[in-house]
Amino acid sequence: MLEKYKKEFLSQNVQFILLDEHGAVTESDDEIFKVSSGSLLPSLHPFFESIPSIDDLDENALDFFCVNLKFDNVDLIVDIKVKRKKECVLLSITDFTEHYNSYQSVAQSRNESIIKTELTVLKNLELEERERFKNQFIQNFSHELRNPLTSVMAISDILNDTNLSTEQVKMLDFLKVSAKNLHLLIEDTLSIGMIDAGKMNIQNKRFSLKDLFDLLSFTYGNKIKQKGISFNFIWDDKLPTEVVGDRLRLYQVLENLLNNALKYTAQGSISFEMNLNQKWANKASVRVKVSDTGTGIHENNLSAIFESFNRVETDEKIKGTGLGLTIVKNLLHLMGSEIKVESEKNKGSTFYFDKVFEYQIGGLKSNPLLEKPEAQKTKPKKNSKKYKVLLVEDDESVQLSLFKILLNTKQFHVDLAYDGNLVLQEVVNTNYDCILMDVNLPNIDGDQITRLIRDFPFKNVKNIPIIGITANAYPENIQEYIKAGMNEVLVKPFQKEAFLETLYKVLK
Amino acid sequence: MQKSKKVVVLGHFGVGKTSLIRRFVTNSFSDNYKVTIGVHITKKVVEISNENTISLILWDLEGTDKLDTIRNAYLLGTHGLVFVFDVTRPSTFEHLNNDLDIVRSKVPNTPLIIVGNKSDLVDLAELDVLFKKNSLSVDFVTSAKTGETVDDLFLKMATLLNEDA
Repeated sequence: MLEKYKKEFLSQNVQFILLDEHGAVTESDDEIFKVSSGSLLPSLHPFFESIPSIDDLDENALDFFCVNLKFDNVDLIVDIKVKRKKECVLLSITDFTEHYNSYQSVAQSRNESIIKTELTVLKNLELEERERFKNQFIQNFSHELRNPLTSVMAISDILNDTNLSTEQVKMLDFLKVSAKNLHLLIEDTLSIGMIDAGKMNIQNKRFSLKDLFDLLSFTYGNKIKQKGISFNFIWDDKLPTEVVGDRLRLYQVLENLLNNALKYTAQGSISFEMNLNQKWANKASVRVKVSDTGTGIHENNLSAIFESFNRVETDEKIKGTGLGLTIVKNLLHLMGSEIKVESEKNKGSTFYFDKVFEYQIGGLKSNPLLEKPEAQKTKPKKNSKKYKVLLVEDDESVQLSLFKILLNTKQFHVDLAYDGNLVLQEVVNTNYDCILMDVNLPNIDGDQITRLIRDFPFKNVKNIPIIGITANAYPENIQEYIKAGMNEVLVKPFQKEAFLETLYKVLK
Repeated sequence: MQKSKKVVVLGHFGVGKTSLIRRFVTNSFSDNYKVTIGVHITKKVVEISNENTISLILWDLEGTDKLDTIRNAYLLGTHGLVFVFDVTRPSTFEHLNNDLDIVRSKVPNTPLIIVGNKSDLVDLAELDVLFKKNSLSVDFVTSAKTGETVDDLFLKMATLLNEDA
């Protein structure tokens, strides 16, 4: 019985063909396809044309697995065994079409998935490469702008201290505003690069949210009123005044939102609000909102306004780079929040976000960790002593600007050095009170010279205060210079006050 | 009697071996990728010169990145080899020289043509850089999609096999 079923099963899947010594068919059971007796196999399918000739076959069977054949428009996938017998050649052909087709679909999914993954990885690499190039370009570009801008800002400050006519004061004010705008633009571009490169870190410290709100309300209140627009600022008294967060980055976000409102509103009003959503434990959720009655944005463009360098529906008269809202979006994302916008064309816009801050219940009466606004920080101490300063700077315009600032104070003797190699010689020969050291110098960099000075065996040399001056504004650069032994680092461009403040700070 | 020559087309999966053969044999192309299982065999008569023709029996092998696992039976009686890689996927050519060593050891003393396929997807100038960077010596850069140099490649093989015969 079993033999009968076995024979019945096998007969449907296996075909046997006998060939004579010339390769002509002598017998076939035609179980899979029909073959006429006397026909030559190569005429049936090219497969048979390219298998070894009968003379080359030995008694060992040749196995061909998974061969795709087509007979009478029927696709078959078969295993073929070719074996030499005494007086003939035996071909056995087993039809595994169903089995191989199921394997085909598995292989199809597997291969497609591998190829897709490979191409995705390649695409990501390409995007990363482009991003790296863009960030490098931004970094180099902003670096190159910092030196001339330092000179412009410093010389503007120097001019400010001279006797100027009313007309000249007015022109100087324009010059200072332009320089400040250019400075902001460089900082914004750098911020975008830093965020994209994952180099921007949020630094949470305790600060006064109320002071920040008051400072912005005061600054922008004046600017907005000057434009003839009404300004409303609402501080919710239920809010904690002191919270933990990144004051600098929050300030950057709010400044961008308020600047935008100011820029795009010609009449009507602008409002700036901070309200409490809810408090729980030592946390407070704050809704921050900036609304205006400005030009508004069409619904279709709302998603595009947060893309870098993208300015939608812009009046050419309104200047801007299209970076502000990208910075807002990305900084808030880093702070665990999300910017939202509601806007109607020609009616105005509302930008808002919810930010959760930690705070101390009961508030802080006095805390040394509390970050104070810049203006309240250490002021330059001035006395009658004359200090000896070595200014190491290869950029002539920056050198001239700083030299002038120092001389104008009448408190400094200034020696100049262009080349890092001369510094070591100078510090041994002269007792300096401070070295102002540019970081990028010909032959040897400022941070390397600093390391060498700090390794000197003589105390008077090794302990000279060193202020680094650099156009490399990334935090890791600055940390590196501090690690090299610099007491302070000033990032170009800087204003006269900041420069002198830092200098006085390090002087004994 | 017309000469018949067995040409095995091999390489990693998804590089376009089947598409190259289809373009050459039927002058057609499909964007749909269908994985080849086992082996497909087709035939085309190539005219080398006046009244001089050769029949190429093209064995389109299932793609694999493990070339040492190719069944020896498939390679028996091979007269010519075409190794195809995909110019857009480095994984198909980053070990090319090693892959070719394996192929040559399995089928020694046999004409071998190296083909970079899918040239329509890349810039030709970039390709030169790519080949130099990877120290690749490539005989043909083809596009099964546009048909670029596909006929040239098989004609070259036919000519080599005719000379060998």
